[in-house]
Amino acid sequence: MSIAMEELPERRTKLGSQGMKMHGWLLVAPFVVCFLVFTLYPLLSAGRLATQQTFGPGTARSVGLDNFYQLFRDPLFWKALRNTAVFTLLSVLVQMPLALGLAMLLNRPGLRGRNFMRLVLFAPVLVGVVFTGMIFSLLMEKRTGLINQFLHAIMGWDLDFAWVEQGIMPALVIATAWQFTGFNMVYFLAALQSVPEELEQAARLDGAGAWSRFRHVTWPAIQPIATFVILLSIIGNFQLFELPFILLNGKGGPNNDGLTLVMYLYQTGFQTGDLGYASSIGWMLALVLACFGVAQRVLADRGTMPKGARA
Amino acid sequence: MWTFARLHHEMYVPLTNDWNRDHPDQPIVLSLLGIQAMEQRLLSSFMSGVPSAELLEVERAMSARAFAGPLESVGFTDITSLVERDGLRERIHPAAFKPWTMQGRIFGIPHDLHPVMLGYRADIVEAAGIDVAQIETWDDFVRVLSPLLLDASGKRRTDRHLLNLWETHDTSFEILTLQAGGGLVDSGGVPMLDHPANARVLAQAIDWIRGSEGIAGDAPYFNASGNQLLIDGFVIASFVPDWMCNVWRKEMPQLSGKVKLMPLPAWDAGGRRTSVWGGSMLGIARTADHQDRLWEMAKHLYLSRDVATKLYKEGDIVSPVREYWTDPMYDQPDPFFRGQAPGRTYINLADQVPDRFNSPFAQLANVRMQAAASQLSAYAIKSGITAREQLLPKAQELLVEAQRDVMQHVRRNRFYSERESVSTSGDLR
Repeated sequence: MSIAMEELPERRTKLGSQGMKMHGWLLVAPFVVCFLVFTLYPLLSAGRLATQQTFGPGTARSVGLDNFYQLFRDPLFWKALRNTAVFTLLSVLVQMPLALGLAMLLNRPGLRGRNFMRLVLFAPVLVGVVFTGMIFSLLMEKRTGLINQFLHAIMGWDLDFAWVEQGIMPALVIATAWQFTGFNMVYFLAALQSVPEELEQAARLDGAGAWSRFRHVTWPAIQPIATFVILLSIIGNFQLFELPFILLNGKGGPNNDGLTLVMYLYQTGFQTGDLGYASSIGWMLALVLACFGVAQRVLADRGTMPKGARA
Repeated sequence: MWTFARLHHEMYVPLTNDWNRDHPDQPIVLSLLGIQAMEQRLLSSFMSGVPSAELLEVERAMSARAFAGPLESVGFTDITSLVERDGLRERIHPAAFKPWTMQGRIFGIPHDLHPVMLGYRADIVEAAGIDVAQIETWDDFVRVLSPLLLDASGKRRTDRHLLNLWETHDTSFEILTLQAGGGLVDSGGVPMLDHPANARVLAQAIDWIRGSEGIAGDAPYFNASGNQLLIDGFVIASFVPDWMCNVWRKEMPQLSGKVKLMPLPAWDAGGRRTSVWGGSMLGIARTADHQDRLWEMAKHLYLSRDVATKLYKEGDIVSPVREYWTDPMYDQPDPFFRGQAPGRTYINLADQVPDRFNSPFAQLANVRMQAAASQLSAYAIKSGITAREQLLPKAQELLVEAQRDVMQHVRRNRFYSERESVSTSGDLR
């Protein structure tokens, strides 16, 4: 009896441990199943697809690395990559200072209506990108578009200036800035609110000017967030699709100046029917984004970004 | 059955009701889908083998994608023998079959023919005492109508152009190149961007667009802004296939009684006076059961006199079935077109409609053609050269480059190369 009494807790513990294990697997099972079905399998499938040539429904043949070889010789791919990189650079250069400036302005305690302004500036992000595309395609019309009409009224701007034909890149940057500056502003606003007030006051007492206070107090405090926002923005901008798709009617625009990587992927995969080639474009895009991901990780490890920040 | 056009759907409802009354055991369910949604569902279904609707009405770009690959993998039933057995080749205009034919096999019954004319502001033209009957060629068009060019502001900016054409209007380039004897793809579906007729069209179009006179202006199609510009008389003439008459009628009632139609001016005296724009077909899914019943239903929908009547009365579309062309409805004067009978004017041009072939590479070729137009336009602006003769060598150079790029995609496509090696019509240059 005494032996039995001694063995019971051990057996219970044993059973409990197995039960716990099973319980654990059951708890993670939904994630594991979803991961296998919706992430790992498509990923492996996309990898296999990139080594195949497809042409229309139900046809696929292995071509090895020929898709990638062709990609490097494809002028449209390079054009799309260049367009996307230029757009990303311009977009970041426009949006970040604007977002930071607005955040600083709206962080001033005495400013009247600042909550309302925060809402107004954040609101465009609630509108779908497709709607933004539709709105800007109307605004940027030649002759009848509001932008040309307005600029014509105040500075004699050429009514026939075709934004989409002559300035698709500025048009995309402006439309994206309208939509996402407020969103980035919110990040900066949160960062600014975490800057210790005492440091600001101390710098003020020491006679530091506005620029000095920004450079030596504010910027170091918000730099990790700023780096995070910039990297997030780069990754998002590299995936640009809907806006040029709407503005350019599903095409690359004059001379393909508005063709982005994802648009080219869509065109080859779903318009020409070569899903294998499209998949290889997708992998190249993934490679570019992975580089930025690694950069983000390196910066995070160096302490210039919040540790938990992952794009 | 799936269709993507509201007008078609409205026309088919009573016909499917009739059919269902007569065939209660095998009723047809008609669904209207957005064109993008339908395309995705159709292609996904063809790719995965999941059943789609059994009868599928598709437009040209959609079908090009569905026709890609070996013949045996096309998701539509090959109806060539049925077309021949039932004498449809004789009943329907031959040009109407071309977009739905791959390697000599037919995959759909044509819904339309869609000849193209110029819709022009007759009120402005006639007020200036100009008779468009003098116009036979594009050179005549410019010469006869040039008094109508207008610089209202006096700032050397054209406020009234003769032709609605711009370097971004890719469809307009296809219309003009087909008319001139060129086009995007040949009968084997192989891109032919470097065809001399294409270079001619490109050079001429950029001359009109970038030349100092401002012959061509940009009033975008299917766009509120473009419509307003047409109403304002910003351009005198636009490309108008039969279906566009209905778009004008519904979207720009202000143009009623102000516009008329005239044949496209020819590229050379005695040349072709029309082209083609748009089109749809009705196909049967290869996986469908009861193929015979579906074939009968398809004929019931597409070949009936009722549909031909509704197609014209409600959609301004001329039926491709020749036996109906004698119907007096096509001769009815139309107040919208200042008493002209649009149906008859289109029918008179039907025999000149150019053959237009389909290919999965047509979209890519179209993109490259449009890019070449933009590059030529940029060259004209930069160099100051706008005369068509001087632009022609550059146009040829750009199109040869574009052709080379597109052919790179075609040549590396193993399925296509194999297909062409057994085809007699293909020319893998």
